[in-house]
Amino acid sequence: MKRSFFSGPYALWMIMFTIFPIVFVALYAFQDNTGAFTIDNITRCFEGTYMKVLWRSVKLALECTVLCVLLGYPCAYFLASKDFSKYKTLFVLILLPMWMNFLLRTYASMSLLERNGIINAIVTALGFDRWNMIGTEGAVLYGMVYNYLPFMVLPIHTSLKKMDQRVIEAAQDLGANPARVFLKVTLPLSMSGVISGITMVFMPSVTTFAISKLLGSGNFMLMGDVIENQYMVANDWSFGSSLSLFMTVLILISIGLLNRLDTNKSERSDNW
Amino acid sequence: MPDDVKLIELKHICKSFGDTQVLKDINLYIRRKEFVTLLGPSGCGKTTMLRIIGGFENADSGELIFDGTDLSGIPPYKRRVNTVFQKYALFTHMNVFNNIAFGLKLKSPAELLPGVEKPTRRQVKREIARRVEKMLKLVKMEQYANRSVDALSGGQQQRIAIARALVNEPEVLLLDEPLGALDLKLRREMQLELKSMQQQLGITFIYVTHDQEEALTMSDTIVVMNHGSIQQIGDGKSIYDEPKNAFVANFIGESNILDAVMLKDFEVQAAGRVFECVDEGFGENVPVDMVVRPEDVMLVGADVGMLTGMVESVLFKGVHYEMMISSGGFRWKVHSTTMFPVGSEVGMSIIPSNIHIMRKMALEDKTAEAQA
Repeated sequence: MKRSFFSGPYALWMIMFTIFPIVFVALYAFQDNTGAFTIDNITRCFEGTYMKVLWRSVKLALECTVLCVLLGYPCAYFLASKDFSKYKTLFVLILLPMWMNFLLRTYASMSLLERNGIINAIVTALGFDRWNMIGTEGAVLYGMVYNYLPFMVLPIHTSLKKMDQRVIEAAQDLGANPARVFLKVTLPLSMSGVISGITMVFMPSVTTFAISKLLGSGNFMLMGDVIENQYMVANDWSFGSSLSLFMTVLILISIGLLNRLDTNKSERSDNW
Repeated sequence: MPDDVKLIELKHICKSFGDTQVLKDINLYIRRKEFVTLLGPSGCGKTTMLRIIGGFENADSGELIFDGTDLSGIPPYKRRVNTVFQKYALFTHMNVFNNIAFGLKLKSPAELLPGVEKPTRRQVKREIARRVEKMLKLVKMEQYANRSVDALSGGQQQRIAIARALVNEPEVLLLDEPLGALDLKLRREMQLELKSMQQQLGITFIYVTHDQEEALTMSDTIVVMNHGSIQQIGDGKSIYDEPKNAFVANFIGESNILDAVMLKDFEVQAAGRVFECVDEGFGENVPVDMVVRPEDVMLVGADVGMLTGMVESVLFKGVHYEMMISSGGFRWKVHSTTMFPVGSEVGMSIIPSNIHIMRKMALEDKTAEAQA
């Protein structure tokens, strides 16, 4: 029996759930309601309204990614360090939210941020005015960071963990103080983790939906919401598919750019 | 040749990891320009001792004196010591040139160019390049400056690791089993190269290995360690010829160690007969260990030897044959260029100066030995 036989189920899975859907999305994108060929749906993607939504999605996703790097790197660093790595529970606490459905997590966030939520209960108990958080851009950003942070922590943690401790010692030995060791050795060697973290966070956050609806009260439509609307509310599958295709292309381009960044990093190492 | 100046002194160094005592009251001094080898089986504490000198571990108690000052608590980056790590620990995100330049780039321009007032960036850059190239030449890797370190073989990586440490002109170079991953032929070449580098540069080398041949080839002084304590300190010849106890005799080279009784000065009884020897001062009728190296047992005709025995096994070892010969209730290991077939009767003779008498190891050491 040929070895390739065993890849059969995987190939079947790929065809059924990845290739077919993409082909259908592509087909729908170039059809009108009657099924005739048209590029109207594609050109509609570039209309001002949608460009605005796209810009907002990209901006929020970038903000979310930057925040995740800033919060996630130190977190991963301390979890991977000698002093903390014996506390396995800390690591599990980071992972725990990942094991729950993200809608549940977002509903939980709602009950935190609501007008009569837990945070406001504390705020009023301390004698301050109620704080309107739901429906603000900050709330949406909070929801995204909260949901995607583990995807940043995990790859960075892995890349730090598998780093050879002797390399750090070698840098110290050659005269680098702790700050230099971090900047010249630890950080560059964990860059691959940061880049895969960025991919893991930026890609899903640029297509986020539901979070914006629940925490932003619909004030901040994102690309994901618009696409969902086209399928579920407007029932315009063709335009929904066009938007999906448009986003897919954008994502492929940004993955390509990120990969290039990664290889450049290791080649240009002498520029430090 | 080493100077007569004590550069590093370890006084009553103790270190434990959890419940295991890794170093027990270590006392040792190392002279300037000396090539010292810490030799012992794995787990004997030699690497821990090196890491304490390098600053990667702190001793629980005791003093580490470097050039007159106590180094305890001084972090590695402030010590005038550099290390060549066991698995090289090169920076994989940099090419060969930048690996070697790493230490230099951390130095201030004034340190790099002490003669020049306000050196420009270009001067600094040129000085770094000059020193790196000098090192590459020393380790014979000139044409590899722009290679990625991943593209190098084990032996080449080793050379870069040595160059990266030496470029900082340390007073002491610590080497942690640096040749362990290389094949035998390359290892022998590197041993000679390291020794000549050490003599050429006049730097103190502290070398950790479990390979006794390596230790004998390179060292001015060998420190034999076992179970966290020093067994014997001396040059290769004195350690080989005059091992202090059965552990050293066994670890350095091969030996026949017999339970014996020192009858009086120059007379020892073992394997059922009395031998003449050159040792004195043990007292009368004192139990001792008698050591005879396998190459010091001469095989003669069955009727003329001091002992007669029967050949039990023969192994061809290239230069010589290794034979196990039973005689007087003891199995002798004998190296000889003439082969006697299995089952034949042979005579054995040992000249007095080839018999070495040692005091019995203290009982606790023996039990520890048995456990190991």
